[in-house]
Amino acid sequence: MAGPTIDHMVSITVLIAALLLSFAVYNQILVNAIAYERHRQVAMKAMDLMDTICLSPGNPPDWGQSNSTPLGFGLQDPESAGYTLNAFSIMRLLATGGGLVYYPKTGKWYNNISMGEGGYLLVPIADSINYTTVAELLGINGSYGFQLTITPTVSVSVSQVNPNNPLRFKVEVRGPGLALGGAILNYNLYHAIRRSGNYPQVEIFSGTTLTDSAGLAFLEFSSVDGLEDAYSIIVYAYIGGLVGVGYNFHETMETEEDIIPFIESFEEGIIILAHNYDVHFFGPPEHALFYNATFFLLTEDFELQPVHIDNSTGKVVYGQGWPYGQVQIPASQPGILLVTYRTGDDFGTVMMPWGISTLGVSITFGDEPSGNEWVATEIRQVIVNEISYQVKLAVWSLKD
Amino acid sequence: MRTIEVLFVIIIILGAFMITTYFAVLPSPRQIFGTNLRELAVSALQTLDANYDLSAIVFTDASDSVWGALQKALSASLPPNIVFNLTVFNITSSGGVVTYHLVNSISNAEGDLGVGSESASCLVTSSEVTFGITPEKIGGENPRTLYILNCNDANGWWITGYTAQTLASDLHNLLSPYFQTTILVNTTSQLGLLLDGTPLAGEDLEGAVVINTCGEAVPIPSGYADQYSQDSYARYCYVLGQRVNQYNWTWVSIVGYPLYYVTNTAKFAGSQNTWGIYGMVHVGAGGLNAFLRGIDNKGYSYDGSWITGSPGVVQFSSYAFDLSNYYGLYPSPYQTATRALPNWIMSTYHLSVRPSDYVFDPVSGWIAGATFSHQGGGALTAIGLTRIPDIRVSALALLMYYRPNIYRTEFGASGASRLVILQLAQQGGT
Repeated sequence: MAGPTIDHMVSITVLIAALLLSFAVYNQILVNAIAYERHRQVAMKAMDLMDTICLSPGNPPDWGQSNSTPLGFGLQDPESAGYTLNAFSIMRLLATGGGLVYYPKTGKWYNNISMGEGGYLLVPIADSINYTTVAELLGINGSYGFQLTITPTVSVSVSQVNPNNPLRFKVEVRGPGLALGGAILNYNLYHAIRRSGNYPQVEIFSGTTLTDSAGLAFLEFSSVDGLEDAYSIIVYAYIGGLVGVGYNFHETMETEEDIIPFIESFEEGIIILAHNYDVHFFGPPEHALFYNATFFLLTEDFELQPVHIDNSTGKVVYGQGWPYGQVQIPASQPGILLVTYRTGDDFGTVMMPWGISTLGVSITFGDEPSGNEWVATEIRQVIVNEISYQVKLAVWSLKD
Repeated sequence: MRTIEVLFVIIIILGAFMITTYFAVLPSPRQIFGTNLRELAVSALQTLDANYDLSAIVFTDASDSVWGALQKALSASLPPNIVFNLTVFNITSSGGVVTYHLVNSISNAEGDLGVGSESASCLVTSSEVTFGITPEKIGGENPRTLYILNCNDANGWWITGYTAQTLASDLHNLLSPYFQTTILVNTTSQLGLLLDGTPLAGEDLEGAVVINTCGEAVPIPSGYADQYSQDSYARYCYVLGQRVNQYNWTWVSIVGYPLYYVTNTAKFAGSQNTWGIYGMVHVGAGGLNAFLRGIDNKGYSYDGSWITGSPGVVQFSSYAFDLSNYYGLYPSPYQTATRALPNWIMSTYHLSVRPSDYVFDPVSGWIAGATFSHQGGGALTAIGLTRIPDIRVSALALLMYYRPNIYRTEFGASGASRLVILQLAQQGGT
């Protein structure tokens, strides 16, 4: 009797062990297959979203040049085909990482898209398109998260190498991980001067040169003092179909005063020029600033062409009761608003791009991808108003 | 004994496991989850040729330094883990035989990029060459007339954001090269003349194409409004169907439910379509039913039943994909249909649709876009998409129906075109 019983016990034990082992293995296969399928769905969604964002202009197609919320989301330039994005639509995105700025004289909050020294891009939050709105328009609110990064393909850095006279710059043109030798550079230097009256004028120096094999070029302006003069310089670099832009500036103000341009209306191209002490007070003395605003259009030859704007000169004063300055620029044309200002013998310049590309602004829009189990990434090369950009879209599932 | 049986069972289980794992092989993560290299290559080529720089470079001598600039530009355009191979072929044609000769190839990788690579190509043309196209006229020796309803005394519905006049202008630009005569019907009175069989400019009425740019509304001449007001003007729609059959017309409805309203801003100045649009009267679903009875030469009777369906997102048929490329019309291949016609109307009203006339693949018996031709003459092109209309879909549907040829002509020397292929591969990891 004992023999068959032991035989049964051994066989049942071995059978159960084998079944448990095979269940575990099959379960692992199923888990992998489910994870694989989920990841594939996210990857497909990333491709779909990238196509929607880059290859459709949204609805209405010109929503980037209006103050209204779009009914459909897309960033393609409605007047172009393929991977060409609208510089204005991108400008209306409420970028992440930008600080919030409150301007008491308009009672509005603005998103400060970081551009570094000498350049401002402050967009009104009320008229910007936020992440939730875009997610709803794309039909992924609550199901997928995303982050959209739009950065210039070519990096152009402009740095002053001589502290005084003559003014000398080093221009370095690079792609991701490599120097771009042989790039053609088109540069414009805007020198703030005072000829007569209260308002500063602009003296323009332009030229063309090439980068060497290390991607470097040196620019020299013998009639401008790097220490005593105020200027802004913009350099467009061009190689093999790619275009990048870089800039630098210098001011001679002894105080912290300067002028801040705020976008008041995307639709009408109205820009407010504010005394910065109204935004952040640095303490006395408090000078009135006399300004002269010039708008430059970027031509197809990468030259900056000045355009007449009304009320281009004025004065801004810190404190209640003093109005801000206001100019209207051509809303439909990407360009650069250059504001030169002075008080006494001190000068300064500030620039604001109209359309993100003219000064090579980068935008990061959306949620933070870190911490998610699996993130699909799509990359495309695009053109934003003649400037080469790279669009990166990270997408993840919110249902895991 | 039992132990031996169990061992057999285990062998069977292990065998099943091995067979399952042999067949259930998941593709490598790189193949599925990597960046879409093909689209990246397309976007890189487009970017480099945005100002025709790529076109200029590929026509230079292979020893020219601009190829180096192109290589740098490509390296800068692509992420560091992507390797590329750009190959340029010269295209020559002799005696009808097209030959591809390698001109130059630049790469940042040694050897073959492997089977995991993806590629995109584009055809670039020398700036010294002019290309031209000559469309064939629809109808051949018996050319057909294109009528575009551009009535200034009619309103539109479901053409939100457009006016009938802007759509008419777009259609004129898109389609007039394919027709011997294109006539904009500028008033409802002119439409009345056509319905009475009177040409507007000596053109041939027979076999014409009539495009209604008013969306779900159809213009109605005053005389017809007086005469055919029965059943909220469904009777007028019946007469339209009869005329389409009588003159062998192709009637084109560009969006939504065909013939759902009638419009005449003078006649219906005090009436509105139940949505606040004056100059328009609500016909309802009975309009289309009456039209179909008219085109089928059935006796008039009123049927107000709703017959369209809402299949949701529909996609281009394979024919539409091909011909979209052929005619250079690129509406989105994915559209939303909420007024698709049912396929049973074909048997009920003696209509037929050739496989090549489906703009969108039918979904569960719903036809979102196609040209229904009647066996006794006349046809209905119905685009049952939701608003706002993309007029290119209607244009494509018509071109798919008539299939005019496009004759391409090239002026200049042979070898004026070059094929550029950009092949990308991802380095490292699987």
